[in-house]
Amino acid sequence: MTAAVIMPQLGETVAEGKIIAWFKSVGDKVAVGDRLFEVETDKVTVEVEATEAGTLSDIRIGKDVTAKVGTVVAVLDGGAAAAPKPAAVFAPKPAAPTMSAYEEVRTATGSFGKAKAAGDVRVSPLARRLIVQNGLDIVIVAQTALNENVRRIDQREVSRLMQQSKSSALTVLEPAQEARAVALAGGEIVTLNTIRQRTGDRLAENWRTIPHVFQAIEADFTAVEAARADMKARFKAEQGVSLTYLPFIARAVCLALDAFPQVNARLDGKALNLSRDVNLGIAVDLNHNGLVVPVIKNAGDLTTLGLAKAIARMVDKARAGKLGADDLSGGTYSISNNGAFGTLLTAPIINAPQVAILSVDAIRKRATVVETADGDFIAPRLTGIVGQSFDHRAFDGAYSAAFLSNLKSIIETRDWVQELSSGRTS
Amino acid sequence: MQDTIKNGSLANDDIGLETRLELYRLQVEIRDCEKRAYDLFLQNLVKGTSHLSLGQEAIAAGFAAAMGPKDKSFCTYRGHAHTLARGVPMEKVLGELMLRDNGLMRGKGGSMHLTSAEHNVLGSYAIVGAHLCIACGSAWRAQYQGHDDVTVCFFGDGTTNIGAFHEALNFAVIWKLPVVFVCENNLYMEYTPIDDVTAVPHPAADRASAYGLPRILIDGNDADEVMRTARAAYKLAREGGGPSLIECLTYRHSGHSRADPGKYRPPGELEKWLERDPLKTYRARMAEFGISPDAVAAIETESKRKVDEATVNCKAAPPASEHLLTADVYADGGWAWRN
Amino acid sequence: MAELSYRDAVIRGIAQEMRRDKDVVLIGEDIGKAGGVFKATVGLYEEFGPLRVRDTPISEQAILGAAMGAAMTGMKPIAELMFSDFAAVCFDFIANEIPKQRYMTNGQLGCPLVIRTGNGGGVRFGAQHSQSIENWTMMIPGLKVVAPSSPIDIIGLMAAAVRDPDPVIFHEHKALYATKGEVPDGEIVDVLGKAKIVRPGKDCTIVALALMVHRALGAAEILARDHGIDAEVIDVRSLVPLDTHCILGSIVKTGRLFTVEENPRLCGWGAEIVSIAADEVFWDLDGPMVRITTPHIPLPAADNLEDMAIPSVARIVDRVAKVMNGSRA
Repeated sequence: MTAAVIMPQLGETVAEGKIIAWFKSVGDKVAVGDRLFEVETDKVTVEVEATEAGTLSDIRIGKDVTAKVGTVVAVLDGGAAAAPKPAAVFAPKPAAPTMSAYEEVRTATGSFGKAKAAGDVRVSPLARRLIVQNGLDIVIVAQTALNENVRRIDQREVSRLMQQSKSSALTVLEPAQEARAVALAGGEIVTLNTIRQRTGDRLAENWRTIPHVFQAIEADFTAVEAARADMKARFKAEQGVSLTYLPFIARAVCLALDAFPQVNARLDGKALNLSRDVNLGIAVDLNHNGLVVPVIKNAGDLTTLGLAKAIARMVDKARAGKLGADDLSGGTYSISNNGAFGTLLTAPIINAPQVAILSVDAIRKRATVVETADGDFIAPRLTGIVGQSFDHRAFDGAYSAAFLSNLKSIIETRDWVQELSSGRTS
Repeated sequence: MQDTIKNGSLANDDIGLETRLELYRLQVEIRDCEKRAYDLFLQNLVKGTSHLSLGQEAIAAGFAAAMGPKDKSFCTYRGHAHTLARGVPMEKVLGELMLRDNGLMRGKGGSMHLTSAEHNVLGSYAIVGAHLCIACGSAWRAQYQGHDDVTVCFFGDGTTNIGAFHEALNFAVIWKLPVVFVCENNLYMEYTPIDDVTAVPHPAADRASAYGLPRILIDGNDADEVMRTARAAYKLAREGGGPSLIECLTYRHSGHSRADPGKYRPPGELEKWLERDPLKTYRARMAEFGISPDAVAAIETESKRKVDEATVNCKAAPPASEHLLTADVYADGGWAWRN
Repeated sequence: MAELSYRDAVIRGIAQEMRRDKDVVLIGEDIGKAGGVFKATVGLYEEFGPLRVRDTPISEQAILGAAMGAAMTGMKPIAELMFSDFAAVCFDFIANEIPKQRYMTNGQLGCPLVIRTGNGGGVRFGAQHSQSIENWTMMIPGLKVVAPSSPIDIIGLMAAAVRDPDPVIFHEHKALYATKGEVPDGEIVDVLGKAKIVRPGKDCTIVALALMVHRALGAAEILARDHGIDAEVIDVRSLVPLDTHCILGSIVKTGRLFTVEENPRLCGWGAEIVSIAADEVFWDLDGPMVRITTPHIPLPAADNLEDMAIPSVARIVDRVAKVMNGSRA
């Protein structure tokens, strides 16, 4: 066993020392307490004693040489070293703050354009948010204000300006692309079934007429998983079906739609009809034989557990072929859940007259960068990509992005355990 | 109470064999553990600062041995000795000095704040003088709730010049509190000789009369004398006789803290006091009373074994747990100042 | 129901707790036989005796230190600092010892004590006996801080403070001792960390504390009557823990924030609230957030000068009205 002799810490602010004398030479026997060397710092001169016994086998920092505190100055051979006892394991207190102790605040999310875009007109933060969320163009709004000699825009001004200039708020469309026919050379012919034929026409029409923009955001599902893991055995026992991620996502969607009502709307010519209720369409795959999107009415009134039950009922009905017309109509927003096969992203097609549709793909452990006070580390985190295809005629990318950001925030920070523990369905 | 310094005397054996071995054990273990703390500081394993009690072991041992488990003790940032003397394991003390997870406060407090509620070590305090007032509170509680535990409060000669000392002494006397104030006069206030900064020659003993208390000045390096004095003071307190102020003369072998190898001392002073090293004195005392050298050696061997075992465990212990950063600011275990 | 003065509410609050738990005791200067220099502890000595209501020498460090030692070992002391300005005399205990005990000992020891103190100005005592120091106490980690504005809150928050296992600084306002309010019969126990909307409104949020709550309410009446501004007034009551839900919820509703603070300008408690609002509800702000405070000066003794310094109803009305209408001052 060898033991390192290090340049000692000789004062709280001392960083280095100069060895001014060695009292032992290489080959000398050293006992505990023997003087080894004398070191000089800018504050003191001290003789350093040996804390281990052995034979001095190497002197690395010689007389009149300076070294930093902690440097190995010599090596001792042959001291006995006891095997270290394994460290006692202390279970840390579970840390479950809802707010980071480093921030101690829940910083507002969302980004609503540059204040400077309004030029000489002063626009309050609230007004800027309302301008974006109502699909207005701040440049146009500011210009309108200037024309009327209004130099400050607050919420009241925005309301007033909106009354006046509704028609100029919407952007101009690009003409839709014609779908191209693809020829197949040889191979088997699979006739499309009725469901596929009907839905196929509609899908094509939607694709042609709606300017789709797809945006995605990565969400961390750790908090969801914690609540789900807790509850799933009981849920399965009581309901006979599994508790998946989908009800959590649906719940988060309902909450986010509350803050971003334009996403929960129907486009009707030149007007956006905001719906008070969330009628949530859930895309259900019929064993690769087609897709149906049954609608859960008033989904906003249901809790996560309530949604889980409602979704399970709808899926059963769908697979049994028992969906009625009422089940398939009145939707205001849809979710397409594609994660079962491990896909990363899906850009779904919007169900007109809805203006957006959410896609959720595989939720699994991914290598993620975690920032800590000690530096950045790669850690496995349960994440999933949540995407939204939206109708660019109804609102802009900023609004959609803000919605997704809000959705992510809900997924990641909502107290799911508390909500599930209440046991309520609505 | 004597009012002159006594050297070790063979007057009587009111102490007894068992207690003598205990007193020696406490002093040796404090000495060995403090020396190890010094070594670990040089190896940069003990971080921050560390105030050692080398040379002052008899005071900690004597007062602690005379205490019962329910008695409460308070001390300054030079508190390793007082913490060890009340039975706190070496591993917990060294672990805290090394700021590891196995430390007495899991690294939250550090060397200057050693506290063990379990052992009624109600803290080591870094702001000079504060704990004298706090000790009054502990004694007040005993008096109010009708308990017979005594509160013992240790501090240095420098403390006698700060305001809180005077407030606490006056307060303890007028409310007749069961608190024993122990001044460890090691002749230096940090780096300055105490004489240079104090209006009276004996910083605590010469002020006792200002508070209507008897003057008690003893040889702090004789564990027997310390113990006799402690017993008498505790008895007085428990019987409702009020506080005591005891000045113990002693000497610090090392500097004020690790930053200071003590080169401000006049030549010869350290050597003179090393002759009166409490351990040296007590070894001679035990021999006088016929205690076998084997029993003495067994204590020394066991002490070294304990120190080595603690050192190994502490070196292997993980650093302070990150979960504790924001823990225990408030009684609910958390830090939240808002909803 | 009965009408009770603020000072009698202090007596009733302390008595309520002392009757409930014999480990609750009261110490301070002249609080026993003399009933307190503000007569806020009259009758307690007679009811509870000299061991539970104990007069001390003029020794602020010993008073707080003893309270701390007693609290650490099993009692529930209420210690008085006669004037809140004296916190500076024993600041070691308020800043270094009491609030850090639990953290440094890794949860082994705590300090379940209450420090009640006569805070605030408007009583012509001069610069060293008139300060509002609630912000000094708000900024120290480990303390809880309350400042009631009414008799019913005095009783309820005193009960909450005594029952709280953490150290609580209880700021009574000297100029409010003579004011009266309705108080129900029976035991009253409130909760720390909850603000109160004392006047609902929709145009702006005015957040105030202690004496300033009364002035803000007076200003709100005039703002409604003469300026058509419907102000929502919030009594913060508890600086730590802070009821951010209530305050931020109100700002989201009205879009406008004003604070009325008796402490001097720099680092006043309102600055922290404005900062949290700027961070969390930025996109709900419809105009600048404005603090109305005592200027950053020592307080004068002269009555006319002191009244100019501490925010008055007129100054509050003036500032709110001007800022709401878009001008600077």
